[in-house]
Amino acid sequence: MVKRGKLEIMRDILGIIQENKNLIKSTPLMRKSNLSSARFKEYYNLLLERDLVKEITDKNNDKHIILTEKGFRFLEKYSSIVDFIDEFEL
Amino acid sequence: MRPFLEPFFITGLGTEILYSFIIIACSLLVYFSTKELYELSSYKGIKYFRLSFLFFAIAYFFRSFIKFVLVFFNVRAIHEFSPNIFMPMGSLTLVLFMYFSSMALFYLLYSVMWKKWNGNSKKIYLLHAIAIVISLLTAISGEPSFLLLINLFFFVLVSFIFYIAHKNFKDKKKGNTLYAIYMLLFVFWMLNLIDILVPSFLQGFQLFIYLASSGIFLAILYKVLKKTGN
Repeated sequence: MVKRGKLEIMRDILGIIQENKNLIKSTPLMRKSNLSSARFKEYYNLLLERDLVKEITDKNNDKHIILTEKGFRFLEKYSSIVDFIDEFEL
Repeated sequence: MRPFLEPFFITGLGTEILYSFIIIACSLLVYFSTKELYELSSYKGIKYFRLSFLFFAIAYFFRSFIKFVLVFFNVRAIHEFSPNIFMPMGSLTLVLFMYFSSMALFYLLYSVMWKKWNGNSKKIYLLHAIAIVISLLTAISGEPSFLLLINLFFFVLVSFIFYIAHKNFKDKKKGNTLYAIYMLLFVFWMLNLIDILVPSFLQGFQLFIYLASSGIFLAILYKVLKKTGN
C-alpha cells in the first residue's frame, strides 16, 4: 500500500467531513480516516491550527467538526495544489 | 568623460526600464498568483518557490537602480566611481543587488531540494551566509577577473546542486523541461550579473541577454498561471 502524503491525508479528512454534510463527530471521523489515534490527533490539530476545520457544540453539548470557508476552498483547490507541486518538482 | 545623457544612454535607459518592468512584473505575478495555493496548503516547497520570485523582483529593482545611477553619473561600472559620497551608496546598492540575486537562485534551488535535505532549515541559513559573502566580496573587489571568477564559482555551485536535484525528479519528461528552463534561467541570470559587474565583458550582447531573460521569465509565468488557474 502506497503511503499517503501529508496533503493527501488532509484532503481525505476534509473530504470525509464534506461527505457527511459538513457535520461529524471526532470518533467516526477518526475511524473513517484510517489513521491511528496519535496520527489522527496530529492531523486534526494541524487542520484546526490552519483554520481548515472548526469545532461547534450543539444544544446537547455534543462536539461536532465542520469545515470552514478555507476548508472548502482547500478541497476545491486541492488538485491545483498537487499539480503545481508536481509541475515544479517542489 | 562622455557628455551627460548622450543619445546611446537615453535609448539604453528606455530599454533598461522596459526590461526591468517585464522581469519585475513577471516575478511579482508569480509571487501573488501562488499566494492562495500557499495559504491553503502551507507547503514549504511553494513557500521557497514564491520567495525566490519575490527576491528576483527585489534584485531587479536594485539592478534598475544601479543602471540608473550609472547613467546619471555617467560611469560604466559601480567600481569606476571616484571615492566620494556616491561610492558607498553605489556599493551598498551593489551588495543588496548581489545578496537578493544570490538568494533568489538559492531559494529556487531550495524549493526543489528541501525534501532531500530533510526540511533542515539550518541549510537555508548557510545559503544566506554564502549569499552575504558573495555580495560583500563583489562590493569590495573592483577587479573584473575576480568578479568573473566569483560568479563562475557561484554558477558551478548552483548548477551542480540543481543537477543532483534533477536526477531525483519524479516525472522525467516534465523534469527535463523544468531542468532546461531553470538552467537557462541560471545562465542568463549570471550573464545579467556580469552585465552589471563587468559591463565591457558583454558589450554588444545586452539586447540578446535581455530578450532571452524576458522570454525565460515569461515562460515560467505562463507555466505558473496555467497551473494556478489565474
